[in-house]
Amino acid sequence: MKNSNQLNRREFLAAAGAAASVPYLIPSGVLAARGRAGANERIVMGHIGVGGRGGGLLREIKRFRESGVVNIAAVCDIDENRLTNAVKTAGADVMPYRDYRYILERKDIDAVVIGTPDHWHGVQMVHSAECGKHIYLEKPACCTIEEGKAMVKAGKENKVSVQVGSQGRSQPEAYLAHRYLVNGNIGHISRVDCFHYPSPEDNNPVPDSDPPPELDWDMWLGPLRWRPYNRRYCPGSFRWFLESGGGQIRDRGAHVMSCAMWWMGADGTEPVTVEATGTPPKKGLYDSAVLMDVTYTFKNPDWVLTWRQMPNDQLPPAEKRTPEELNSKIRKISRPGYGAIYRGDKGEFIHWGGDGGTWAERKARQWKPPAGAKDVYESPGHMEDWFKGIKTGAKTIMNIDAAVGVANLCILGNLSYILGRKLDWDQEKQEIVGDEQARRMMRRPQRHPYHL
Amino acid sequence: MIMDNVKKAAISAGAVAVIAGGCNGREKDKAAEELIAKIKDSDAEVRTKAWLSAGQVGAAAVEPLAKVMTDEDLEVARAAKRGLWKVVRDAGRPGRKGGKRAVVGKLNGLLGDDQPIAVRREVLWMLSEIGDAKSVKPIAALLSNKLLREDARMVLERIGDEKCIAALKAGLKAAPEDFKLNIAQSLRSLGQKVPGLACVKLVPTKKTNVKPL
Repeated sequence: MKNSNQLNRREFLAAAGAAASVPYLIPSGVLAARGRAGANERIVMGHIGVGGRGGGLLREIKRFRESGVVNIAAVCDIDENRLTNAVKTAGADVMPYRDYRYILERKDIDAVVIGTPDHWHGVQMVHSAECGKHIYLEKPACCTIEEGKAMVKAGKENKVSVQVGSQGRSQPEAYLAHRYLVNGNIGHISRVDCFHYPSPEDNNPVPDSDPPPELDWDMWLGPLRWRPYNRRYCPGSFRWFLESGGGQIRDRGAHVMSCAMWWMGADGTEPVTVEATGTPPKKGLYDSAVLMDVTYTFKNPDWVLTWRQMPNDQLPPAEKRTPEELNSKIRKISRPGYGAIYRGDKGEFIHWGGDGGTWAERKARQWKPPAGAKDVYESPGHMEDWFKGIKTGAKTIMNIDAAVGVANLCILGNLSYILGRKLDWDQEKQEIVGDEQARRMMRRPQRHPYHL
Repeated sequence: MIMDNVKKAAISAGAVAVIAGGCNGREKDKAAEELIAKIKDSDAEVRTKAWLSAGQVGAAAVEPLAKVMTDEDLEVARAAKRGLWKVVRDAGRPGRKGGKRAVVGKLNGLLGDDQPIAVRREVLWMLSEIGDAKSVKPIAALLSNKLLREDARMVLERIGDEKCIAALKAGLKAAPEDFKLNIAQSLRSLGQKVPGLACVKLVPTKKTNVKPL
């Protein structure tokens, strides 16, 4: 398939002229090497999903437009109110769409930012890659094991740069924590215990109803099997459904466990067993576990990763930071309700957050590397790291392979919870073994025509 | 700790949850009756403990739970649905051959026209996880039902064995024009070639009314 950037200037100008009513922008790839934006060219962006987190990403990208790094060509949403707001945010010469596939058709767009609910991630990422777009994709990468496989394949085959929004890896204190741990300051680490406050319950259930006029319910559901609209499904509450958001384990697990896999040097490895238990909501439409315990066992090297959603009063207390410690990079801990404890044979280390806020325990922040200490990759910022990937082909810090690996942890944890039994995972075959029902649940057929 | 809570919940509901093995038909029916009584309880705590324990009642609980899935009390209906899913997840445990067959048989029987659409749709997806060779025919029959055909073809795709592929191929021949592409999608995902029916996944169709500034 032709990469969207593989269009020469004459072809592009002819195409743009033929569609004079649309404010098309010159794609940076036209002016640079095939498939890669030139070092000094603006990357032309399309935004898919512009409410909630997608709206935050649009505002973030706008700052890069102001600094001359990107142009914004299009915004897309299936909610007309959100789309109207996004047009106002993005400004003149930005084309609105309901159907993201119009964005994928546009040859002048180099890259897409996908900020839709999780059940759309797999399909939209694969389609974008097949159309030659570079991709920033909100986390978690995927909702099923088979989606993840398709995403890795699409990224590789189409040679696009993909950054998944587990931006904890790019935070200043994540670098300090990573450097502290790989230099053996707590010795050999054999266990990482992630902690998180509970998933919410739907304490005010409402009956199904007609969708509001501004919402295209068919497109909101997309690949999911059809069901009647209910106000509890969206917008942000999709997170509390096993089919779409997957609960805290997928929403924040994709951050906290992302840090764990990165710092443990475990990207590209997977557990051999996964065992989960949990407590379901007592009423309402949400169905993700309120409290949850998951244990992942890794082999060669041997270590254990746990994910625990626990009552608030059991969470570890947040470190108190003095005003003298704070600066532009070191800030107060504003989200102490999640993080992880790393347990080594010489001590322990704790961090809070793991997403846009990642806070490392004081001892890692104050540690001065001696001569000869190992250094680790310091991200220039999550978006900047992606732009570097687009322009140079460098591997991004949360590339699609790593992101699918982390998402698989979340998926397998939920599958074990749903099925009420331990699962055995074969990394080489990339499948659950010895359990036909679980094996079938690795994939979820998708509604026509919203499929991989 | 969470594990303990779940176990306690299951044990406290154990009065209704007679382990299927070693019980005669009458005991199983009685267990199902007691389960349904608790599923219909006005206390959310009681309902939750009941549906969590439903897997232990097994096949005897399938039809009674399906009946309550359309109860006018939304929370009771939801508890019944979750209970039935528990039965399905328990039946699918590796090694539960006899119990699974019995549950699948009961589920197959719930796909008929005498059942509400909402129940049949849910049952289809339950069969997508544990359905066997005997499920294919009743599922495939729904490829001609306008309200359930999309779910039916997805379920056949998920089971995905040779019988399902044959049923999808037969369904494609008989399908009206507006459903052929759907079946073609399933066949392709199962590695089959479907000449003459182009994939439309990248073709945009939905226009917005929002105008640019």
